[in-house]
Amino acid sequence: MDRQGRGLAETVWTRLDRKAGAITELTIRQLRHRLSTWVVLAVGFLLLISLLAMFVAGVRGGWEPIDNDGDSHDWDEDGYPEGQEFKYGSDPYDGFSFPGSGEFVEEGSFEWGSVGLYSGNHTWRLATGIFTYTWLEDSQIGGDGILKVDSLEPCPEGVSLFENYWPDWGDGCRMEENRIVVHEASFVGNGTFRVEEGYMAQWGYVAESFYVEPEPASNYIDEDDIDWTGDPNQINGFDDDGDCLRIGWPEEPPPDFWWGWESRHEPDANGNGVDCDVEWLTDSDGNIVAINPDDNVDEDPSEESLAYEDAHRAFIIGTGKIAFVMILGIFLPLFLALGLVRDETENGTLHYLLSKPIHRGEFITYRILGYLIVAGGFVLIMSLLMGLVTASLGPGDSIFRLKDVIVWLGIAFATILALAAYGAIFNTLGLLSSRYGVYIALVIGVYEFVMAVLTLGGAELIPVLSVSHWTLQLIDSIVLIVWPNTIEMHLIATAFDLPSGIRAFWNPPVHTLGTESPFISGLISVIVLVLITSLMILFGQRQFKRREIM
Amino acid sequence: MSTKATPAVLLDKCSKWYGQVIGINDISLAIDGGVTGILGPNGAGKSTLFKLLMGRLKPSSGNVRLFGVDPWVSTSPYRRVGYVSETEKLYDWMTGHDFVSTLARLHGMTREEASDRASHVLDFVGLGDVQNKEIGKYSKGMRQRVKIAHALVHDPDLIILDEPLHGCDPIARTSIMSVIRDLGSQGKTVLVSSHILDEIERITEQIVILHNGRLLALGNLHAIRDLLDKHPHRILIRTENPRKLAEYFVPEDPVYGVRFSQDGALEVLTNDLSAAHDVLPRVIVESGLKVTSIENPDDNLEALLAYLVGGAS
Repeated sequence: MDRQGRGLAETVWTRLDRKAGAITELTIRQLRHRLSTWVVLAVGFLLLISLLAMFVAGVRGGWEPIDNDGDSHDWDEDGYPEGQEFKYGSDPYDGFSFPGSGEFVEEGSFEWGSVGLYSGNHTWRLATGIFTYTWLEDSQIGGDGILKVDSLEPCPEGVSLFENYWPDWGDGCRMEENRIVVHEASFVGNGTFRVEEGYMAQWGYVAESFYVEPEPASNYIDEDDIDWTGDPNQINGFDDDGDCLRIGWPEEPPPDFWWGWESRHEPDANGNGVDCDVEWLTDSDGNIVAINPDDNVDEDPSEESLAYEDAHRAFIIGTGKIAFVMILGIFLPLFLALGLVRDETENGTLHYLLSKPIHRGEFITYRILGYLIVAGGFVLIMSLLMGLVTASLGPGDSIFRLKDVIVWLGIAFATILALAAYGAIFNTLGLLSSRYGVYIALVIGVYEFVMAVLTLGGAELIPVLSVSHWTLQLIDSIVLIVWPNTIEMHLIATAFDLPSGIRAFWNPPVHTLGTESPFISGLISVIVLVLITSLMILFGQRQFKRREIM
Repeated sequence: MSTKATPAVLLDKCSKWYGQVIGINDISLAIDGGVTGILGPNGAGKSTLFKLLMGRLKPSSGNVRLFGVDPWVSTSPYRRVGYVSETEKLYDWMTGHDFVSTLARLHGMTREEASDRASHVLDFVGLGDVQNKEIGKYSKGMRQRVKIAHALVHDPDLIILDEPLHGCDPIARTSIMSVIRDLGSQGKTVLVSSHILDEIERITEQIVILHNGRLLALGNLHAIRDLLDKHPHRILIRTENPRKLAEYFVPEDPVYGVRFSQDGALEVLTNDLSAAHDVLPRVIVESGLKVTSIENPDDNLEALLAYLVGGAS
């Protein structure tokens, strides 16, 4: 009820011209009587329902903790996860180097290209040639370059070794009961080694070894949470898993640390004079504007705090942008708007409508309004359905995430603006050329899709000349208005290099006139979209007014 | 605005070309009140004339006015105009009542007004009992009448009907003709186009004849016909004994001769068609012969046009 006490329906309908009501209603009824309308709506419905089914299946499947920094993995198969090797300063990619393994001390070697024999009980490294032994250690560890003695295959018959047959790198084969052929492999044994011409081998021993209990991989999953005090002036961030601080590491890297540790690790990457911390920068309102971490600090947070929410929002934003704007937003107008006036002209039924005291320009506007009620109504209903499901099944303590529904309504609003703009464009194309309009519309549809993909990828300038760019930016703005911390989640995911759907589907709004306010960018997007729609309708009206109708 | 000062329909030296093809050529015309038949063979320019009046086409030269207003520029005269186009497509999924009331709302009527008026005009054109049936199930004549109903729904002062009898069966024809005559007697200005002289003759006496885009004749049909009647005419009579019937016709005054056509019909030749028709029933009764058909092969639009064009040259 408004102030005069009139009902909503009355105030809306008395304001709308009766002629407008009649043409709009006629258009809706016409669309309802067309098979193609139902086909395109059914396809859209199936698309969204299958996305929703995927979402529900994902929620029911539950969440696995994610090892964001990958340090729970034992790359060199020496029994120790990468995180534990970092703590002890051993090489995570060298099976010979592991916590407590000590150092390889070289006693001698065949250099590249030398030829000869060497005998003794040694640790042999990077050796290529034939080893005849009296004892060979059955290695318990494996990995790159470490010979798996117990699984050596017999060498193939009738081949010339190192001429037309080579064992795999780091592997070998068995020639006889106590003779093996190896290719840049490492092993421990007593015997005589003959180096292959053109290759090398080292021998020596491993010093100062001691036993370290291997930790389970789970110790290195979600082990370095984000430590943010909320005060940028304090020292923030702590290297919970020690892979930045690396306390107790040797002063010099081990001699065979062949990928070099310095290149991987920078304890003061953000250059603020504090090792292994995170620099959080806020604006005067306390909003986080930038995050600069040091390497390997806070890089593996628990998914409870961040990733579930990130994935949930990413589903909503991704579905809103791709399924609603890029697919429904372009396809519904292609099927429903192109023939709004063109078909009436071709059928001759336009004569009934135009013999009434109604301006041709008005006629176009009301036709588009009728189409918009059908297409927009569908989008609105579908967005509410999506909102109902995601709001009920999403993460968090609340039973119903009301903000989900608000974001979905925002997505519906943006999509309807896109439907209006595309509807006006396609209808005008149908008017301009009843024969070629559909082809031009298809080209525009593809162009808009490409511009939308560029916008998703973060392009700011090129896609400005497209409807989809402004629609997607409107969704970005609405998301930021409803969930202001999305920008922090985006910054955190970027700073700590976390797998993030928000990073994939959401970009901070760019057209803010320097204010960085989502309200400004949203408003500008709405104005641009309404302007495009109005200009295209005006252009269509001009064309139609001048047209002689046979 | 006085209708005396501004006629319903006014064309002033109006021409319309489609590229090289002439639609209508230099027509000046004013029509106000009563039923006017627009006669002309196909391609004479009847539909072009109507489309100019309805603002669908822009005249290549000259002026068109509906109630004093240029219909190409303003839609305001359509408040007072009902137009039945030659198009045969309708919204087949709508009922007759739906169709008429939806279009009535384009005159700014409320839903209720539109519904009442639609029922009223559908009754008037004789579709009252089928108004809730889908148009797709209507016969050809019913479709024509629903088109007429939509043009009458706002009680217009000027009604333009483009070939309203085209393709209708005799019963529908009769009922549409009576609707048109009724409208004329209500004091409306009605323009009806047709290429069949006989149809127009049964509706009105006031005619405009178009030929090749030109205005060939304008005025009372009887006056034009009288001219035509004074020229040689044939009456074709099929009977069991043409020779015997001929004997009865020869002495009659308006008859100046008889002939026998190849298919055995009797051709009565006259210079005064209406006088000949006056004596025709009496002669046949006197002869006592059985007559199967009477035709006036020269009494059609083509003959009239041939005469008018011939007379002009």
